[in-house]
Amino acid sequence: MTQAIDTSLYAAVTDAIRNEASRILSDGTVSAVIGYTAARRRGSAQPIVVSRIEDAAKLIFTPACVNNLAVYLTKAKKEVPKAGRIGVVVKGCDLKALVGLMGESQLTRERLYLIGVPCVGVLASVVQPDTELTSESIAPKCRECDAHLPAGCDYVPAQKPVTPELEKKYAAEIARLEALTPAERWSYWKEQSSKCIKCYACRQVCPFCFCEQCLCDRNKPQMVESTPRPAGNVAWHIVRAMHLAGRCAGCAECERVCPMDIPLNLLNRKMAKELKELFDHEAGFEVNEKGPLATFTEKDDQSFIK
Amino acid sequence: MQKYISEQNLNALLDKLIAEGKRVVAPRLNAGTPLYEPLASAAELVIDRLPRRSGKEAFFPLCEDIMSYEKEGQRVELQDIDPVRFPETVLVGVRPCDAAAIPVLDTVFSWDYKDEFFLERRRKTTIIGLACTQADDACFCSAVGLSPGDPKGADLFLTPLEGGGYACEAFSEKGETLVGAHHELFAEPNGAKALPLAEPQTDAFDLKKVKQWLDEHFEDPSWDTIATRCVGCGACAFVCPACHCFDIVDEGTEKKGKRRKNWDACGFWKFTHHASGHNPRDQQPKRYRNRIMHKFKYYDDKFGQTLCTGCGRCIRLCPVGIDIAAILQQVEAKVE
Ligand code: SF4
Ligand code: SF4
Ligand code: SF4
Ligand code: SF4
Ligand code: SF4
Repeated sequence: MTQAIDTSLYAAVTDAIRNEASRILSDGTVSAVIGYTAARRRGSAQPIVVSRIEDAAKLIFTPACVNNLAVYLTKAKKEVPKAGRIGVVVKGCDLKALVGLMGESQLTRERLYLIGVPCVGVLASVVQPDTELTSESIAPKCRECDAHLPAGCDYVPAQKPVTPELEKKYAAEIARLEALTPAERWSYWKEQSSKCIKCYACRQVCPFCFCEQCLCDRNKPQMVESTPRPAGNVAWHIVRAMHLAGRCAGCAECERVCPMDIPLNLLNRKMAKELKELFDHEAGFEVNEKGPLATFTEKDDQSFIK
Repeated sequence: MQKYISEQNLNALLDKLIAEGKRVVAPRLNAGTPLYEPLASAAELVIDRLPRRSGKEAFFPLCEDIMSYEKEGQRVELQDIDPVRFPETVLVGVRPCDAAAIPVLDTVFSWDYKDEFFLERRRKTTIIGLACTQADDACFCSAVGLSPGDPKGADLFLTPLEGGGYACEAFSEKGETLVGAHHELFAEPNGAKALPLAEPQTDAFDLKKVKQWLDEHFEDPSWDTIATRCVGCGACAFVCPACHCFDIVDEGTEKKGKRRKNWDACGFWKFTHHASGHNPRDQQPKRYRNRIMHKFKYYDDKFGQTLCTGCGRCIRLCPVGIDIAAILQQVEAKVE
């Protein structure tokens, strides 16, 4: 049964974001604010970098504000203004990515001014931007959200998000895949990865794909077949899952943007589950100086060494 | 030559073509995603959804081998691909925005260098177009001079009728030949009215004005506001019916491998990255500028055509909501 989700608090959140952005721009706290603004299509939203006080009124928050804006603070996006302190509108799920980037010495807390969003959810990728937010149209990640009210921000509007209990889809789908035989699982992923067109949208929106040169772009020598063919596609998805293991913050951006509907976040969630079991590590709001795959301790599981 | 074909007979036609050994490429679901792909049978046809990618890949595949090599000691063996072996193809259910892009691509692939891989597939393909009865607010074919009922690029064009079935009209010899060879499946028009065409809601662009601004503003601060947020993926180019940049790579080992041609995209940082290390388009706004310039200025300068048919795919799929129609509106508004 489709349940409606109450998004009425977003109007007040929008006002609060505008006021706060205008305040921190006028008193010089920040040089720019990265947030969302309305776009041409009915109900749509897009990222915007606001650096003039009068433009603060363009900021909005609606169920179409799907992007994780943390990507604009990575070195992969050098063009976005980097001078001074930067304000950024963050949902709880996106904040985990910023925290992860701090742990990887890509960002310092002092350079950021965080405007946290009390959030009841955003839309899934394939729907029209003006679709009403319901238990059907909501992004899969929001079904298992534990960050409706972001922690540790410089400013959070007073609104309290009220969210219904929703059925967890990733957990159920991972359980289904885990129950398959290895051969069945392999054929599932082979079919999914055969759709990949190597557009690299998944990599480009990921805050943790900030390498100046991706291994998969190398051609002298070529490390991974770069053409969208079976061997290279599978290699690409494995390389990415491995590189993101213990780093992925679970924002699900990679999955949202995949034009071929490949369920990439299932790989991420599975890796996160392994990391939790093996290293008791989870993406969250604590800055961890060293990720589990970048450190060695004697307590690490050694059972794979035969 | 107006004819009528029922849904049942259209399916029968596709099954007959498949039985004749032809490759029938039409919208079908691939693990849930609608794509133009070869059908195993007409039962796979899913005609009511705009495929996620365009029809261009019937001639210009995502990736194809163009040569293979083998090397042993001093002996090097090169093996060409023989385009004569490309299959006879019927491309079915092609939307006006996809079909209209095909003659545009013909121009570039047969210009100074004749791309036999494209041209031979093109010669061997008959295109069955389909009028659109539904549009969303990303569609803007009518704003770039086309329409949901425009048969441009189609050999045979189907228009859905009230009460089912299609009006069918041939627009080329290929189309007539196809109808002639299967005349028993086509009937005389039954007088039924056509279903109302879709109505894209974007006002027509004055593409001359757009071009005029582009002619004069290669350098302009607004490129930054337009495109700083572009994340540099290839999604917009890869789903576009008119984009046609490709890359050529050798894959395999030193001893044995293939030379392959695969899609490229101006959004990628490697696009035009020179061997010297220099890249004339070293920032994302410059790469996005190339996308707009190529579509609405360079292609027009060179071939007198626009490289966008308003399918709206790039708008629906851009991860950061970059909307080419909104950008054209902004550019047009800059010209008095
Ligand atoms: S996961 Fe939580 S914080 Fe993130 S968009 Fe969904 S509801 Fe909001
Ligand atoms: S891998 Fe996907 S879910 Fe994880 S941080 Fe990157 S974009 Fe977000
Ligand atoms: S976004 Fe999807 S299609 Fe594009 S490279 Fe990633 S997995 Fe492949
Ligand atoms: S530029 Fe965008 S709207 Fe125009 S034809 Fe290409 S994908 Fe379609
Ligand atoms: S315009 Fe959008 S789809 Fe195209 S490269 Fe930029 S981010 Fe990707």
